[in-house]
Amino acid sequence: MKFRAKIVDTACLNHFTRVSNMIAKLAKTCSLRISPDKLNFILSDKVASGGVSMWCELEQENFFSEFQMEGVSAENNEIYLELTSENLSRALKTAQNARTLKIKLTNKHFPCLTVSIELLSASNSSRIVTHDIPIKVIPRKLWRDLQEPTIPAAEVSIYLPLLKTMRSVVEKMKNISNHLIIEANLNGQLNLKIETELVCVTTHFKDLGNPPLDSSQNRDPEQMAEVHIDIRKLQQFLAGQQVNPTKAICNVSDKMVHFDLLHEDVSLQYFISALS
Amino acid sequence: MLKCGMSGSQVKVFGKAIQALSRVSDELWLDPSEKGLALRAVNSCRSAYGCILFSPVFFQHYQWSASVKMNKNKTSNLNCKLAMKSVLPIFRCLNSLERNVEKCKIFTSSDKCKVVFQFFCRHGIKRTHNVCFQESQPLQVLFEKSMCANTLTIHPRVLAEAVVLFTSNQEELTLAVTPLNVCFKSSNEESMDLTSAVYSEIVVGPDEFDFFQIGVDTEITFCFKELKGMLMFSEAIHAPISIHFDFPGKPMALSIDDMLLEANFILATLADEQSRASSPQSLCISQKQKRSDLMHADSKAINNISSKALESIHRRAAPKRLYPEENLTDISALENAGSPIMKMANGDITEVPESGVTKNLEEGSGPPYLRKFSCIFFGAVSSHQQEHLNPFESLATASDCEEDVNNSSLPSF
Repeated sequence: MKFRAKIVDTACLNHFTRVSNMIAKLAKTCSLRISPDKLNFILSDKVASGGVSMWCELEQENFFSEFQMEGVSAENNEIYLELTSENLSRALKTAQNARTLKIKLTNKHFPCLTVSIELLSASNSSRIVTHDIPIKVIPRKLWRDLQEPTIPAAEVSIYLPLLKTMRSVVEKMKNISNHLIIEANLNGQLNLKIETELVCVTTHFKDLGNPPLDSSQNRDPEQMAEVHIDIRKLQQFLAGQQVNPTKAICNVSDKMVHFDLLHEDVSLQYFISALS
Repeated sequence: MLKCGMSGSQVKVFGKAIQALSRVSDELWLDPSEKGLALRAVNSCRSAYGCILFSPVFFQHYQWSASVKMNKNKTSNLNCKLAMKSVLPIFRCLNSLERNVEKCKIFTSSDKCKVVFQFFCRHGIKRTHNVCFQESQPLQVLFEKSMCANTLTIHPRVLAEAVVLFTSNQEELTLAVTPLNVCFKSSNEESMDLTSAVYSEIVVGPDEFDFFQIGVDTEITFCFKELKGMLMFSEAIHAPISIHFDFPGKPMALSIDDMLLEANFILATLADEQSRASSPQSLCISQKQKRSDLMHADSKAINNISSKALESIHRRAAPKRLYPEENLTDISALENAGSPIMKMANGDITEVPESGVTKNLEEGSGPPYLRKFSCIFFGAVSSHQQEHLNPFESLATASDCEEDVNNSSLPSF
């Protein structure tokens, strides 16, 4: 198993750092899948109700000037690793204004992802920073749990409002109740609702627009699809979105809510299952 | 008797000094002398010592007089020890203090064991803090910086950029030097799970240092917390830090030498047991045994082990005379023989290579400052690294831990 990659472009480095920061906010431990043309950050939560899973995909050639990998075997030319996401984001944070960044799989006492950074200091001499991030190699028998999730059939698909607004609404609602109801219809209307004995609070978003959806043919545009989720999971998801995405779609069905985001060229799929 | 005054911007520096020393210990000595006002702190396991000396010209006015004791014809110093908990809040929000305080006065009232901090602020507001102090003789550690083989002087900005790599849950940092470069790295961890800390290192070239003198290639490991404290202080006063060090096991010094003040942090370094000439194996094993014995020992047993060496840790209630004129040759002998002093403290270990130093301690009649200095080395020897125990826990610490102090009749430090 071999992996080595290099970033020399500052913009690519910053973008990669932002992606890594986002992943660190969404999942404490995650799996990283390395294949010849992609990198995937995967979180697969087996919790039946209220659980979360994530699939983040980026095309390696959009980031790395050099990328070489050799998977577990010729037929299975992939590498699956488990790591603590914060370790990677913290290591990348020290690479601001780096001349080059290299990542490779190494085995120093235990398997590591070694991030090697060449920094240019004020006095024009270069400093070499090395971080060895401990990782666990995931055995092949567990790979099937980490495959790309099939997008479930949604009742309603709608474009999301400004995530910053959603985040502040959700944060305030969290103080009242943990049980959030998301309602959406094909008329571009999205509601966030919490209900308690004493009070019922609903925030209405209008004119959001809906992406085309096959099953929308026979559906009454006014009819709301709703899903009940744990508000904290939504809050954690929104907290991870520091930058406004290029595209943000929310798919609602009664079993789960699926967020489909695109940050420039990085796609993020986030699933929150409904509370039982 | 102390009486001094400072302006708002001087208060900020003074407050930063206290904050830096709070990283070392929970207690602070205020030690005025004709050289100026010294703030001193020692951590509980005696593995770190900090002293920041403000010269009289730092203050707007500075008056100090030694009180004369009636029964002796010797002068005694203030012997003032303050709790960090009491002093730190007084110097909180230093930026606003700098803006609002026009003048700050610090003075002592010798009859009441109190230190008074008075802030004369804008709009005619006067804030007075009366802090009671404990009578306690300050510890002085004398360390000959010029005798160290390696000296690096670096601007705090550069050091801060290097140090930011390391997470705050790293307890120790290793500094490795060769004449070609300097490397700061995380200390070796040997655990093998995902939650183990990331190993980081940064290699810096000699041209980043203001002064670079490496006499001997070496790797020393020391506590990160105290370095950060000193770094914070040096960034606040924009002064370069000098690092003086030698081989592992020998203490290292971080110092700032400015016109107005002089700061020194002396830190114990992890002794590299492989590098010691004397049979390291047997030393380690017997240390381990001794450690478990000492932890459960009662005060009587501790006294039996080495009463002479431990006497130096016990603070006698009556103020003792300080020896301001240091005898440098004795100190250097102590420095070069860091480990043997430790073995002395242990008592049961029979092999002691440097008999010259042993003699000083065995006699027990050496000047008190020498015995105090040996306290620093109690912390310098590590427990066996694989045990992941705090390497600065010394064998003799058990007697000074707070629980033991409360349980036993040992006077507190």
